[in-house]
Amino acid sequence: MKALFLSLLTLISLQSAGQITIGGFIREKSGEPLLGVNVFIEGTYDGATTDINGEFSITTEVSDSVVLVASFIGFHDYKVLLDNERNNIQLNIQLKEKINKLNAVVITAGSFDASDESKQVVLNSLDIVTTAGSSADIPGALNTLPGTQTVGETGRLFVRGGEGRETKTFIDGMIVHNEYSPSAPNTPGRSRFSPFMFKGMSFSTGGYSAEYGQALSSALILKSKDLAELTRTDLSLMSVGADVSHTSVWKNSSFAGKIQYTNLTPYFALVNQNINWDKAPTDYNGNFAYRLKTSKTGFLKIYSNMSTSEMDLYERDIANPETLLPTQVTNDYLYFNTSFREVLSDKWGIHVGTSFTESNDFASQAGQSREEDISGRHGKLVLDYIHSDQITLKFGGEVLLRRGDEQLINDLGQSLDSEFDETIAAGFVESESYLSSSLAFKAGVRAETNSLVGNTSINPRLSAAYKVGEKSQVSLAYGTFRQAPSNNTIYRLNDADQELARHYIANYQWLGDGRSFRVEIYRKDYSNLTRFSDQYDPSTFSFDGDGFAEGLDLFWRDSRTFNNTDYWVSYSYLNSERNYRDYPGAFRPPFVSTHNFSVVGKRFVQSIKSQLGLTYSFASQRRYNDLNEEEFLGGKTPNFHDLSFNISYLYSNQIIVHAMVNNVLGFDNIFGYEYTDRPDDAGVYARRAIKQPAKRFLFLGVFFTLAKNKSISQLPNL
Amino acid sequence: MKKTVLTVIGVLCAAMLFANGQFEKAMAKSIPAMYSASDRETLIGAVNQLTRIGDAEANRWEPYYYAAFGYIRLMTMSESNEDKDKYLDQALAAIEKGETIKPNDSELESMRGYVHMMRLTVDPATRGMQYSGLAFGSFQKAISLNPKNGRAHFLLGRMQFGSAQFMGGGDGGACESFAKAKAIFESEEKDERSIAPSWGLNGTLEAIKEMCKG
Repeated sequence: MKALFLSLLTLISLQSAGQITIGGFIREKSGEPLLGVNVFIEGTYDGATTDINGEFSITTEVSDSVVLVASFIGFHDYKVLLDNERNNIQLNIQLKEKINKLNAVVITAGSFDASDESKQVVLNSLDIVTTAGSSADIPGALNTLPGTQTVGETGRLFVRGGEGRETKTFIDGMIVHNEYSPSAPNTPGRSRFSPFMFKGMSFSTGGYSAEYGQALSSALILKSKDLAELTRTDLSLMSVGADVSHTSVWKNSSFAGKIQYTNLTPYFALVNQNINWDKAPTDYNGNFAYRLKTSKTGFLKIYSNMSTSEMDLYERDIANPETLLPTQVTNDYLYFNTSFREVLSDKWGIHVGTSFTESNDFASQAGQSREEDISGRHGKLVLDYIHSDQITLKFGGEVLLRRGDEQLINDLGQSLDSEFDETIAAGFVESESYLSSSLAFKAGVRAETNSLVGNTSINPRLSAAYKVGEKSQVSLAYGTFRQAPSNNTIYRLNDADQELARHYIANYQWLGDGRSFRVEIYRKDYSNLTRFSDQYDPSTFSFDGDGFAEGLDLFWRDSRTFNNTDYWVSYSYLNSERNYRDYPGAFRPPFVSTHNFSVVGKRFVQSIKSQLGLTYSFASQRRYNDLNEEEFLGGKTPNFHDLSFNISYLYSNQIIVHAMVNNVLGFDNIFGYEYTDRPDDAGVYARRAIKQPAKRFLFLGVFFTLAKNKSISQLPNL
Repeated sequence: MKKTVLTVIGVLCAAMLFANGQFEKAMAKSIPAMYSASDRETLIGAVNQLTRIGDAEANRWEPYYYAAFGYIRLMTMSESNEDKDKYLDQALAAIEKGETIKPNDSELESMRGYVHMMRLTVDPATRGMQYSGLAFGSFQKAISLNPKNGRAHFLLGRMQFGSAQFMGGGDGGACESFAKAKAIFESEEKDERSIAPSWGLNGTLEAIKEMCKG
């Protein structure tokens, strides 16, 4: 009875409590009033929303002490305990902003991010595949960004006065060796990795994170896709071959496989080539990706790429063009990568990865040959620690094993065998801190030791960003970067010194809706570069070479001004000299061009259901060493021009036709000259221009998609 | 003692009934407020009210469902892509809160598909592939969870029509979906007091009129 009475009393007291009013004003740190804040008494429906002046007023019937909560997107919840002694309470509340990826400043110095997830990006991964002239090749598309130099005979990424080998590719944090498929001498190779595999990429032209090493100039960081969404089969028929791919999706896992056969014989029979082919390039390529969600937050990725390719051709002797030199290039390649991520607690996350590369390259010409085996192993462990939304810490360690084996055979049948066995152990720590959502700092250090050299290097990496306006920000970056010298050097002298580059970068970026602009200036100082007078005689080696690169990069992108049209414009100015190899002093290397310019345009034309793309690229003259002239590296090539076009036509949901023409106008670009080793009787070195293998490259492909759900197409897959 | 326990239980039940009555009453006011708000400020107020109700009730998913709907409406009133994405993120967060209370619910799943569909409209060229897949996936899952969910059929139809139009024509099976939705809506008994989701008939009829001529 007593209990009943008590309960009733409680009920009555609940109903009979007097009304109280809580009012107030809510603002952010700057004093600006906040509109739309949800202010309420915890555990009840009673509450209000702040108006345009940041003011609110709540009438509640609950007596006693209550907890008042103010909650707003992008801010930390504010809670206060109120003793309702008075019946009219006025509050003045300041909310603290959460630092989140959406509104916070991002450190952009040196880095171009392409992602489907993050919203603050200049490019997304689809842009890569729809860029005319890129041939759906990642480096091909990135070569339309500022900071890169057109070096048409290699197809590689030459970044800010660096050689092609100074750009390293990482997939899910793990290093990739020999990332380009083989090509005939002085013709461009393609990346082995299809852009469709990745959900995001970060192309850094300098100043990148302490997590990455063994790259002097640039890091191309690729993030592979997560669980596939749909079970589907795709079939492609192309002028250069065919491929079939299949994706199966289960509840917590997916498997995707692709088998590709490339054979250029029919194409070369139709389109005249400057190369005299005996057996046009053929390539078998397999790609497999398995994804497993191991828990709500855990994720395992396994990826493998394997290929075997061969080509045979006749190269003309430079001095006697009638003499044909039989030439063969073959490659066998296997790459395997695993990556596992898990969240250990709300503070800790872990990433473990391994990668495995086996590559065999063979090239022969008229009795001389070179064969190289490279095996790479990479293991890495990274821990993330979130101290607060303002401070995060990342640290870890990695071991990179690399073994090289080279056999050179000259035309007398003499053989030179060389090898190296390199172990690199590295540890890094990096912290990112936000003093506010407008000011961020990143400070890291990477310690690295190379077993061949024996000493340990300490490499600081620092960067900062400050938001100067709602859409604009400035960033700065500094760092030191080390890389083993070229394999050719290590074969001759195993304990060759590591090369060193120091980067200084300043960047301004403005990001509007559908428009963006960035400008970056940089300086890069090289030291410890390899010098020699005879590249086959290690006794002439020294490691006191140096050099620099400095320049300006501009980028403008606009997808808004013209309907259905997206375009971007890049310009790079570069001044670079080096004193390395057998240079008699500081000279501009042959791969450097002072001005690089490109315009990329894309337009979707609804009436013909097609996406059209046009790319124009320009590079100013490059140097070459004219052996018949006194001046070292005194020769100058003409300027480089290229205009490329592509079209993708959506025949139906399931069928897409894709066509492209590179170098539509047929510019006869010259990349440099090759000379004979010895002068003729008149004392003249004969020479031959290094040119494109054909004036134009044409491609035609039909892509079919078979999916359970008919509404899914490859549409954005153009 | 036994008697005391019984009385306490009785009182508790009464209190719960009382509380439940309060919930129904609050929802009956908040749902129309969310539907009818015609400017951002009013709509934010309505969504906030729904969120308060959801936070105060431990086992009702409906407030979060309608809050998500409100966030989608806020998204359609926004100009910048950044704002649109922000509201869609909020909508998704509300759906996920609802799902902790009622996992594998057909209505919440179709609302998720709705969010994906709107996400796609922000930037169709770029987001087409990813979000059309996600939206179709959600609508199909919603239908498999409850084949009698008219809203799932209606939204699926809109998605089918949109992608078929983008591809150059046809209805992509949309009219069939709309017809299914219409049949389901018309067979349902209208209960004005129920707070269960009941929208969709008008939209379906309009869609049929506009998209399924002949």
